[in-house]
Amino acid sequence: MNAVPDAMAPDAMAPDAMAPDAMAPDAMAPDAMAKDWKGETYYGQASLKPSPFDWKIAAYVYIAGIAGSSQIVATLADRLGDGRDETIVRNGRYLALAGALAGPPLLIADLKTPERFYNMLRIYRTSSPMSFGSYILTGFGLASGLTALGHMAGERRRDGSRSGLRRAADMAQVPAAFLGAGMSTYTAALLSATSTPLWAAAPRAMAVQFGTSAMATAAAALSLGEQVAGDPGNCRRLDGLAAIAAAGELVASAVAERRQREAGVGQPLREGPIGAGYKAGALALGLGVPLACHAVNALSKRPSRGLSVLGSLAILAGGMVMRQAVFQAGNRSAERPDEYFRLTRREPEGTSPRRRVDRDLAARGARRLP
Amino acid sequence: MGVHPRALDYAESFPNGVIPDESELTCGTKIVPGKSYGFFTDTTLCIGCKACEVACKEWNGLPADNLGLTGHSYDNTGDLGADTWRHVAFVEKIGSGGDRARDMAPFQSNWLMMSDVCKHCANAPCLEACPTGSIFRTEFDTVVVQQDICNGCGYCVPACPFGVVELSAADGKAHKCTLCYDRLKGGLEPACAKSCPTDSIQFGEVEELFDRARQRVESLHEKGATDAYLYGAPDTPGATGGLKHLNAFFLLTDRPEVYNLPAAPTRASGRVRPSFLTGLAAMAGLTLAAAALMSAGRGGDR
Repeated sequence: MNAVPDAMAPDAMAPDAMAPDAMAPDAMAPDAMAKDWKGETYYGQASLKPSPFDWKIAAYVYIAGIAGSSQIVATLADRLGDGRDETIVRNGRYLALAGALAGPPLLIADLKTPERFYNMLRIYRTSSPMSFGSYILTGFGLASGLTALGHMAGERRRDGSRSGLRRAADMAQVPAAFLGAGMSTYTAALLSATSTPLWAAAPRAMAVQFGTSAMATAAAALSLGEQVAGDPGNCRRLDGLAAIAAAGELVASAVAERRQREAGVGQPLREGPIGAGYKAGALALGLGVPLACHAVNALSKRPSRGLSVLGSLAILAGGMVMRQAVFQAGNRSAERPDEYFRLTRREPEGTSPRRRVDRDLAARGARRLP
Repeated sequence: MGVHPRALDYAESFPNGVIPDESELTCGTKIVPGKSYGFFTDTTLCIGCKACEVACKEWNGLPADNLGLTGHSYDNTGDLGADTWRHVAFVEKIGSGGDRARDMAPFQSNWLMMSDVCKHCANAPCLEACPTGSIFRTEFDTVVVQQDICNGCGYCVPACPFGVVELSAADGKAHKCTLCYDRLKGGLEPACAKSCPTDSIQFGEVEELFDRARQRVESLHEKGATDAYLYGAPDTPGATGGLKHLNAFFLLTDRPEVYNLPAAPTRASGRVRPSFLTGLAAMAGLTLAAAALMSAGRGGDR
């Protein structure tokens, strides 16, 4: 590599900041900055601070996903289904409310000054998923409360007409579903909008991973409910939905891993106990087992109840393992300066610049925001 | 060096009160709300005395931490954190393979010393991440955490691309350098800059500092120190990925990573939209699939 000032590939950088003609020639580094990074760090000291998020936030992400996606399934069952879908509607609404009730205590417990939790709704900020996520959770909680309590109090009348309370529940259903979509995925944006290498490397793929996992776990939970209610037809459809979502999650996980590999980050998610847990728990148990179970059931004339239950339980367990592994591996990756420096390094001349979602968008975002 | 004429107005050794606009005497800058202030840290002048660290701890009443030795040269502080708002890094340049370096830089030893601090970014990722509004931009264009608002959610901690902000276990709130907000309010130069014996830390109006820094780089290049470059000034490393510039910027003589700085940090909030919109698109696709499953299963059963 030639030690000339514009030796860094300019097209790999944010164009507003890095175009060589925009650089003040005096201020630019002819020598030191033109040198390739050869893996030097400051005594291996972490360059970033890992997030203080622990299992509680990971559990919240899991619960928020199930609750949000349950509300979507309940909405579809309410609008498209007939009387036999009534248990799906009911379970979906109850599950959504349960999740909306379980989430805030976990979030508040994770605050280091929990008595000031209400400051979360002090401002509204679109650049902070932690901020708009608080509003999504609040709105989702209120709407889910309406759907579930309205459902509980106002039963369908004998002649098929609906009571006032039930109608109120149905009216809150669609906004609840929209907020449920936000609940299912805003948590991925929350992680990606950090400097943590593992989470920042693949913002889009991780959002799909979290969203599909939310839908898979919700469908699995509702399928278990249908097993209790004894409706194999509903189980079959919900298992189909869970399988589609799990297949999507498998693809998204592979894409996320590829992006992370390209950026040179994410080793904690592939190695050691966290990596083993992720592969065995999230991928093999959480995706492989249910896909196999549901495939066998879909092909056979008489679907096995045991396989359906096993597949649903595997999805529910795998979703939790996936969240925990991603959180732990992310915090571990923040402690590795080499991973961070690899993510934020300039491209040496000659190599074709990798498409880097984060940098392109950061450049665009710079023009949009003041 | 002559005495500043204004100093003659305050000839007593112990004035009864703070000299008005004392910063004019100590660093030639009058502190006026509405202008941008910051630090230019010239690492080629740093002698590693840690006066800045101590002055910062003294003025801000920060407790001692990391008692003991890290084993990393003379750096027994380690990194910036909730109780350490200035940190002097010591890089001993020993050649490859553990040998001592045989080439000397033309103007300096093979020691690199650098006083690190919160960068008070022009587009501060911690501020953009803060959900309570407790992190705000002051009238001096610096970034400060309001301790009476912060609820310790900790989202600013991973948002910072420089690993500056930290939650304190003692009070459960986020802490970082305030660029001596209280001193600026009183017309005083920040404690670290005032205590720096070599003027490695220079406080002033940011635009002025940029000019001064560019001249310094030029003069270093003329002297043969062609390694010198700015980190965090507009259009230089550090001011990348939408960060525009850093109000606390640096003159470095080796790659940023050597000083524990990322070469091209990005603004974390730039990833919110792609992530959230992709997630919502995935949910829309799943909803369509679910809708198809829901209605398809029913038609045949009827």
